[in-house]
Amino acid sequence: MRQLFAPGADAILRLALLVVSVGALVFLVVVGAVANSDYVYGVGVAPKQPVPFSHKHHSGELGLDCRYCHTSVTHLANAGMPPTYTCMTCHSQIWTGAPMLAPVRDSLANNQPLQWSRVNHIPEYVYFNHALHVTKGIGCSSCHGAITSMQMTARAKSFQMQFCITCHRNPAANVRTPDQVWNMNWTPPADQATKGPELVAQYHIRNAAQLTDCSICHR
Amino acid sequence: MPPLSLGADGKWRDAPGERGVAAAIRERFPAAADLLHTPDRRRFMRLMAASLALSGLAGCDDDDTHDVIVPPVAQPVGAAPATVLTYASATLLDGFANGIVVRTRDGRPIKIEGNPAHPWSRGGTDVFGQASVLGLYDPFRSQAVQFRTRDSDWTAFRAAMLGPQAQWRASRGAGLALLIGPTTSPSLLAHITALREAWPELRVFSHGAVPRDALHDGTRQAFGRPLETHWNLAGARSIVCLDGDLLDAGAHQVGAARGWSEARRGLAAGGSLLEMHAAFAVPNLTSAKAEHGVSVQPALIEAMARSLLSRATAGGQSDLPELAAAWCNAAWRALDGTRGASVVQAGLHASPGVQEAVQRLNAALGNTGRTVLHTAPLQFQGESLTSLVDAMQRGVVTALLMIGTNPCYDSPAGLGFTAALARVPLKIHASLYDDETAVNADWHLPMTHPLEAWGDARALDGTASLIQPTIAPLYGGRSAGEILAILTEPEPRDALTLLQAHWDFAGAPERWHGALLTGVLEGGTAPLVPVQQTGGMTPATTALEPGMQIVFRPDPTVWDGTVADNAWLQELPKPLSKIVWENAVQIGPALAARLKLAQFDVVSLSAGGRSAVGSVWIAPDQADHVVAVTLGYGKRTEGQISAGLGFDAYTLRAEQTPWLLDGATLHAIGKKHVLACTDDHARMDGDGFVRVQRTGAPPVGDGDGELPTLYPHKESDGRAWGMVIDLDTCIGCNACVTACQSENNIAVVGRDEVLNGREMHWLRVDAYPARAGATGTAPTSTAFMPVPCMHCEQAPCEVGCPVEATLHDHEGLNLMVYNRCIGTRACSGYCPYKVRRFNYADYSAGAAPTIVEQRNPDVTVRARGVMEKCTYCVQRIAQARAISDRDYVPIAEGAVRTACQGACPTDAITFGDLAQPDSAVSAARRDPRRYALLGELNTRPRTTYLAVRAPGVGEG
Repeated sequence: MRQLFAPGADAILRLALLVVSVGALVFLVVVGAVANSDYVYGVGVAPKQPVPFSHKHHSGELGLDCRYCHTSVTHLANAGMPPTYTCMTCHSQIWTGAPMLAPVRDSLANNQPLQWSRVNHIPEYVYFNHALHVTKGIGCSSCHGAITSMQMTARAKSFQMQFCITCHRNPAANVRTPDQVWNMNWTPPADQATKGPELVAQYHIRNAAQLTDCSICHR
Repeated sequence: MPPLSLGADGKWRDAPGERGVAAAIRERFPAAADLLHTPDRRRFMRLMAASLALSGLAGCDDDDTHDVIVPPVAQPVGAAPATVLTYASATLLDGFANGIVVRTRDGRPIKIEGNPAHPWSRGGTDVFGQASVLGLYDPFRSQAVQFRTRDSDWTAFRAAMLGPQAQWRASRGAGLALLIGPTTSPSLLAHITALREAWPELRVFSHGAVPRDALHDGTRQAFGRPLETHWNLAGARSIVCLDGDLLDAGAHQVGAARGWSEARRGLAAGGSLLEMHAAFAVPNLTSAKAEHGVSVQPALIEAMARSLLSRATAGGQSDLPELAAAWCNAAWRALDGTRGASVVQAGLHASPGVQEAVQRLNAALGNTGRTVLHTAPLQFQGESLTSLVDAMQRGVVTALLMIGTNPCYDSPAGLGFTAALARVPLKIHASLYDDETAVNADWHLPMTHPLEAWGDARALDGTASLIQPTIAPLYGGRSAGEILAILTEPEPRDALTLLQAHWDFAGAPERWHGALLTGVLEGGTAPLVPVQQTGGMTPATTALEPGMQIVFRPDPTVWDGTVADNAWLQELPKPLSKIVWENAVQIGPALAARLKLAQFDVVSLSAGGRSAVGSVWIAPDQADHVVAVTLGYGKRTEGQISAGLGFDAYTLRAEQTPWLLDGATLHAIGKKHVLACTDDHARMDGDGFVRVQRTGAPPVGDGDGELPTLYPHKESDGRAWGMVIDLDTCIGCNACVTACQSENNIAVVGRDEVLNGREMHWLRVDAYPARAGATGTAPTSTAFMPVPCMHCEQAPCEVGCPVEATLHDHEGLNLMVYNRCIGTRACSGYCPYKVRRFNYADYSAGAAPTIVEQRNPDVTVRARGVMEKCTYCVQRIAQARAISDRDYVPIAEGAVRTACQGACPTDAITFGDLAQPDSAVSAARRDPRRYALLGELNTRPRTTYLAVRAPGVGEG
């Protein structure tokens, strides 16, 4: 009777087992990486907007302050989106006939609000407060990236819990002086290691244990 | 595997023993009965494979590509997104006002709070006020004008009215009749008066299911004119209730309960007790809070009232049965010792004879003008419903306009209203609901809810209160005044114009802004009326020993049925019986024993040739020979949530004696219908839940000492939130439960799920009757104990959770992290207080879009499979903390008020920071009456209680 297994069968089996186990591992790593990737979270993707509003032009080049449009960012949980009237303060004077601004003029004329696509999405079960972060020295760009260089506004961070909690565990690494909060190109200065803890004390920021209480963000 | 046996038909089946177990499980654990149908092996494998394959999907987020931000075209001043704006307004019950403050967010009213600036309600609320916000968004509300049950619109209605209007103008209102539901609105009353003057032939009738006629008859007999009574309890030193309802639901509840609690605290501070004596036929909250109660038949209450009156007027004593005589002696001692500072009270349902005796008694004791005050009747009083039915039958009514009333449901069946209505050629009905009367009318008009219209109303003390809209009318309704205007004016005025014209606000912007701020129309309060007794007490006519009697009461949660479609009120446990979603035929134990009736037996209750069928509920303290039924159930409008719940007590009611019917018979029909009752759910192990502090006895509280513990001591850094609940002033009114439901997006589960023990209320109110002896002896008081999460410092639930979904924060809150919870329910098993609620069936999903609008955006709407419980209103704490951190100021004392605390009419709940020694909650914690529930378990609860006060041993 012919032998069931050729001499190389053992090696083939070993190779197959190796390939399968390495393959499974690679599969898990790839799936994990993809699931947590910026791609899946839409980082860097600018959704289509009714009007191609450019933060780079308005804020970066013309130097409009963030708070001119996002009026409640310093005192409310919600940063606030500008009503049509805010756009028209300037655009009733300049670029009054520009075709790309037609939706804004229509909104005012018909008293129909503009519908902007949401760029930054707070995950479910989380309650975020803009005013607290801004008044405690956390700058816009820490979460929203270099908005002033964005032609079209895109999400800069994926807002996974890891992102929030890293800073809540060690706010000293990201805390800025009040004048730097609105600086969209801020990078930690060389003396952040000494300056950070001083600022944390100055802003009366709680300790890491309190800042990582579940009830700080979830309820 | 269980043993199998071959049946007679040759099929395999369970052994008999196994069937016995299944039956037992079905009986004792109805919720677990489903588990008996265990799937076979293949089906089990299929299910497991499917759940494994799909498990990853649970982590998927919703698709947010369609997520849009919609900023307004022009930003309204002061209305930044997601900020809370509050408006002073009023809620209505039977037309009477309770001052409230409405919290709105992004233009949506989401919560009712008390209004401290209102002289009558003084910051308190009741269940009807709290639940009214759900009533506003009710998707079952009438949403369109209807002509003969087909959809129409207001323009068509106005056009259709042009012809009749010209006719009425020519004939000065001949043939036109108005039927007005309960209202106290001064502007509407003036509107009707003006209309009557213009059209003298117009006839105006009024109808309400909770009439105040007995009170008006009693005051007419005593003082020669009908009057409204209210009380100044601040100076009261004793209270005697004869068939009273002082602390029960009704237009008077909030103000009376607040006054009572303040008086009781005030006297307790001086070492004495504001004792209450109550003679009653049907137990209620007033009898429950009375130190000295006696349960007697209604006819005997009148005899007792006469006996007390004859003592006050130096007459002789009459013969009374032993228990009643003993009660009268004690009540008389209390009254005699506190002349001029006592209150004798009779409920709306007391007979005119009792009302008269009570009024005369107060006058004789010198209470009238001091603790007992009178105003002219505040509700609109037109001709009676009986005369309307008579006029309709004679055919003299050619057009009938019914506003805010539902007589086809809530008029006594014997009156034949619906049949008489059919003889009217033009029938117009305006109401919040497309109800039983709407289907019998030619035109049905949707009305505005008080939260979406301008208006005014009087509180029981005569305070004129402003009603201001907090949202544009959701379903295009109009107010009563607007509808009258459409019918009678060529250019109909709107509600705001009518209101401002009546109160003459045209040249007084400051007065107008003042009213908008406080909700009170200054200078509009109805004046007090000084009274003088006329003649002598009307002689008695009723026999002392009638047969079995039916006693009617408005329902403590759905009232007369006008709010029966409110799911929060339907699911609210009745204060004493804890029944939900239906009414019962309530009898006393002696009657039950005589008729051999058991709990839940279905009985047929008959009187006067009509009958109703309902389930028996045996109430321990109810008088013998008395059958109590509550109104508001047995509604018949298909498709509404109230349809088919309970039985309709109006079918039994008589027009002349609306609260009492003689000659009742009761017999079992051989069926059982289990009433959904929450009393046995969430039962704690242990005893001594309620402690009693007798006057002069050593303190019963825990004191300062702490039991030793093996757990590490958790240092609190900064704040330490805590709550103290005063059981002495808790009257069990349930306002806190509804407030919690409203604030925290708590789901309604329905009757069947309550039967499974799955109600979701984060806060429950336990009732503990302090019964001394067997049936037939004098009843003693009932203590009410609100039980929210205790926020234990050493919380057993936290030990039980395998995923750390429940844990402490540094301010001492026991948190529930919904997105971590995997639903093992271990925490609930570990909780000795049984305050955790598990969401079994995604009760919040699939709600109507308008119901979603009501939800509090600061609170997560919990999904299926997640445990939830009281959070101490963590969203309010977080809000205060954010402001404090932002502005670098400490959280002020009183800045955080929990929903239950803000709703309480008696201020029984104190909440605040225990780390501040001068905070109110710290002071309450130092009270010698303070104790921890199940303190022996050493869970160190942050929620603690103050013991009930009681007369000293040997007193009373």
